[in-house]
Amino acid sequence: MKSLVLVKYVPDANSVFRINSAGTWVDESSLSFTVNDYDRYALEELLALKDGGAVEEVVALTVGPQAASSALRTCLATGADRAIHVRDDALEGSDPLTLARVIHQAIKDEGFSLILAGLQADDDNHTQLGGLVAGLLDYAYASAAMKLSLSGETMRVERELENNELQVVDLDLPAVVTVQTGINSPRYASLKGIMAAKKKPMTQLGLTELGMSPDSVGAGASKLKTVGFESPPKGKGAEILTGSPDEVAAQLIKRIREHAGVL
Amino acid sequence: MATKILILAEHSSGALKDISFELLGEAHRASADAHVVALLLGNGVSELAAELAKKGASEVIVVESPALENYSSDAYRHEILAAIASEDPDAVLIGNTPNGWDVAPLVAAGLMVPLASGCARIAIADGSAKCARKAFNGKFVHHVEIVDQRPIMATMDKGAAAPFDGETDGSVRTLEPTLDPGKLKSRFVETKKSESGGLDLSQASVIVSGGRGVGAPEKLDVIRELADALGGQLGASRAVTDAGWLPHEHQIGSSGVTVSPKLYVACGISGAIQHVVGMKSSGYIVAINKDPDAPIFGIADVGVVGDLFEIVPALTKQAKEAKG
Ligand SMILES: Cc1cc2nc3c(=O)[nH]c(=O)nc-3n(C[C@H](O)[C@H](O)[C@H](O)COP(=O)(O)OP(=O)(O)OC[C@H]3O[C@@H](n4cnc5c(N)ncnc54)[C@H](O)[C@@H]3O)c2cc1C
Repeated sequence: MKSLVLVKYVPDANSVFRINSAGTWVDESSLSFTVNDYDRYALEELLALKDGGAVEEVVALTVGPQAASSALRTCLATGADRAIHVRDDALEGSDPLTLARVIHQAIKDEGFSLILAGLQADDDNHTQLGGLVAGLLDYAYASAAMKLSLSGETMRVERELENNELQVVDLDLPAVVTVQTGINSPRYASLKGIMAAKKKPMTQLGLTELGMSPDSVGAGASKLKTVGFESPPKGKGAEILTGSPDEVAAQLIKRIREHAGVL
Repeated sequence: MATKILILAEHSSGALKDISFELLGEAHRASADAHVVALLLGNGVSELAAELAKKGASEVIVVESPALENYSSDAYRHEILAAIASEDPDAVLIGNTPNGWDVAPLVAAGLMVPLASGCARIAIADGSAKCARKAFNGKFVHHVEIVDQRPIMATMDKGAAAPFDGETDGSVRTLEPTLDPGKLKSRFVETKKSESGGLDLSQASVIVSGGRGVGAPEKLDVIRELADALGGQLGASRAVTDAGWLPHEHQIGSSGVTVSPKLYVACGISGAIQHVVGMKSSGYIVAINKDPDAPIFGIADVGVVGDLFEIVPALTKQAKEAKG
């Protein structure tokens, strides 16, 4: 069985984010990037299925600029067998539906039985790419998996609901499943893995190879357009205390006593 | 002509979920001439239909089938697409909930229309929409526009929009199900509770929580010491429990436990909506964060902008002294 993981190269969640001068997104110029956290868990699920013998091949795919190949190299070093990098300057600014069309075009003849992706990307939080790809491929679909178990042609998925509830669903393969963080403990690349990754194949696909025209993708063709980006409204807003650590601590103790009746 | 807005009602165990009324409220606000239609999928749900007709829907469309008794992505996708085909709405609003984010992209792909997800607000006019959605887990508001699409599709964050608070005298209509239960690619098996280790934070009267800002598992001791000094329990954001620094039972939020202690102290937690829904009804909220723009300061009662490793130990020391 061939499997695919969709990965995204995103700014490190520990970064201090500033809005860019155009007011359209964060300023990415000074940020360090990494594999989207959710996608690390998705890759680990496939590697575990491969360890158990249920999956023969694990392929990692990303759509992104030159630098995003680093995310694929991390996947290869961690244990993926090959990688596909879809890359074209014309793709800049594509909305999720456009990206899903591009991914669909890149993989529709590959015959993947199982496609995993992260529940969401930590930067744009769109929470839909896996579902869009499933819809375009007409595959079975489930989101926010906290457990996967494969038996024959059926994938049993425990989906995370709210308040510590799980919903168990059976999917007929082929299927797309998005993975929630915490489903497993992702392994890290070993030194041996990093060396081995250098010999693993990484295919570059541009729009020409995909048979798509530049004006069918990118910001121009996308129907979901960014028109602004700002810090969230402050709401009622906290009273902000200032002073040395000891001074603010004293003020806090006073308020905790008065308002919370503690101490 | 009125702007027809279809909302997907959600229910479980025989009761409508809050998101249904939030979607009804937002649909009325989204357009000055909104005609709000609620789509209710289920089995034996006539009472719920009547409730929707009274609490915000101008019209309720009910599709009933044993295959819709419980949510499954394929059955819901099928019937939502069928209802959109027959009703031809200008816009479709779905909750950004576990079932909503599951089915919404399948419907969007079926229609080849864009989906604005995780929105707090939406305004619809002339076949276009302006939406305010979250990005970077709520650290920013991302304003997007959907231009000239039918239907406009969006998912709305739970707890973001005020529920409909008037009274309506809506009508109820039935649509015949069109799905073939034998052909569904996804099937509901059961709903169950996830395993937990016995700690129950929901009854705690003081909680001190640490987030990703704590940086490393061994540094959690700083948070634990404050919790001890205040006679409280140790809580955490999902970033901490996913990383394995603490067991899942310490996680507070939409996918963890909901708490309402007298005192909640958030240290190194940004205040993502999924965390906030689990602690916002706390009596008194203290936030300590080095980022003055962290959303947690928007809901806290009192805040300190600074390094938690300077503030928290000072607070612990004085709390111990105060207790005597
Ligand atoms: C479906 C779903 C369900 C989820 N359920 C939950 C849930 O139940 N509970 C939950 O918590 N999350 C949940 N999340 C995750 C949520 O979206 C956030 O990613 C998470 O809450 C972030 O945790 P955090 O605030 O600790 O980390 P971050 O957002 O990374 O914030 C860390 C904060 O620490 C501050 N900081 C860093 N260093 C210091 C320092 N030295 N001193 C002071 N401050 C510092 C930073 O300024 C930052 O604000 C869920 C997400 C999804 C998609």
